[in-house]
Amino acid sequence: MREQYYFVAEHLFCVEADDGILAQMANYEPFRTEQSKDALFSLTVTDGGPVQYVEELSQDEEGQDIVCGHTEQGDAVFEFRFGGKTAGWLVCSAGYREGTLYLSGFQSKAAVDNALMIQFAMASATLNTVLFHAAAVILDGKGYMFLGKSGTGKSTHARLWLQNIPGTELMNDDNPAVRIKTDGTAVVYGTPWSGKTPCYRNICAPIGGIVLLSQAPYNKIVSLKGIGAYAAMVPSISGKRWDARIADGLHETENALATYIPVWHLDCLPDADAAHLCKQTIAL
Amino acid sequence: MKIKKGFVLRTVCGENVIVGEGLDAINFGRMLSLNETAAFLWKKAMEYGDFTADSLADALCQEYDVDQAQALNDVKETLDNLTKLGVIE
Repeated sequence: MREQYYFVAEHLFCVEADDGILAQMANYEPFRTEQSKDALFSLTVTDGGPVQYVEELSQDEEGQDIVCGHTEQGDAVFEFRFGGKTAGWLVCSAGYREGTLYLSGFQSKAAVDNALMIQFAMASATLNTVLFHAAAVILDGKGYMFLGKSGTGKSTHARLWLQNIPGTELMNDDNPAVRIKTDGTAVVYGTPWSGKTPCYRNICAPIGGIVLLSQAPYNKIVSLKGIGAYAAMVPSISGKRWDARIADGLHETENALATYIPVWHLDCLPDADAAHLCKQTIAL
Repeated sequence: MKIKKGFVLRTVCGENVIVGEGLDAINFGRMLSLNETAAFLWKKAMEYGDFTADSLADALCQEYDVDQAQALNDVKETLDNLTKLGVIE
């Protein structure tokens, strides 16, 4: 077993695993650091399971299930299943600061990614940080995020910016992190988690705008304010809202974003005009 | 009566909103915006745990300058709405 440290959205975490697992973590390389003091959380990866627990809720997304529950001792448990087959069990204690992932031997790398995303989202929720399900691009030093239900075309819209708006770069295609800094600035960060697109960039930018996408037979963009802006973001933010401490933390960040960041709703076609209309409206 | 498990009053951009956050309410899927009076009644209902239209009407009379009959009418209307929306029982 060996320890390695990573720095994502300015949060330090530690992974302890054998060389075989660490060798598969190429997507974390840009985030590796020699720093090892005051880590936000640590994850130990080992073979084992099954873990006995009481189920609280099962979330099904794109053929993968995450079952949440708790052990007899009250530790939080997350079981990861792909196509109905279990890849591993994450057991968390000490407010998600300590985690152990028991691998079944099936889909080990995917289980490690899921475990780290969950621990990151939970442990940082009370520190003005949220993990979005979104695509993020960077243009002229500002970050723009595209949200929407699975299959809406977040990645497609991001790609349309890259193809049609000179100077645009992809920051992350699936799970950017957002953090409200102590001076009140909202910043979006690349992460080691980017869905099917290998885009693991350790870069960040102040947020220029957040856009909720819907498919439509036309292109039209409107500004969202207050509750409308808040409601547009909440479904795209990972969390275990039935844990009141986490819900409070997420709410604080979401409320700050809804108050200070321009939020938009774009009805769109998957075409160049959609990207141009969006860019001209939100990136002045 | 009581507030159903899992519903929470939040302040969103200065407005009062009920959201479903607990395990029993996680699939509520919408947010309810409350006016000032309704938010006051919700907070009182939270405080009391078990409440009636009468106990909330009393609280309303103490806080605002309304007569008992009017208060009871307003409370009943609010409770009717919240019951229909499925957040109290």
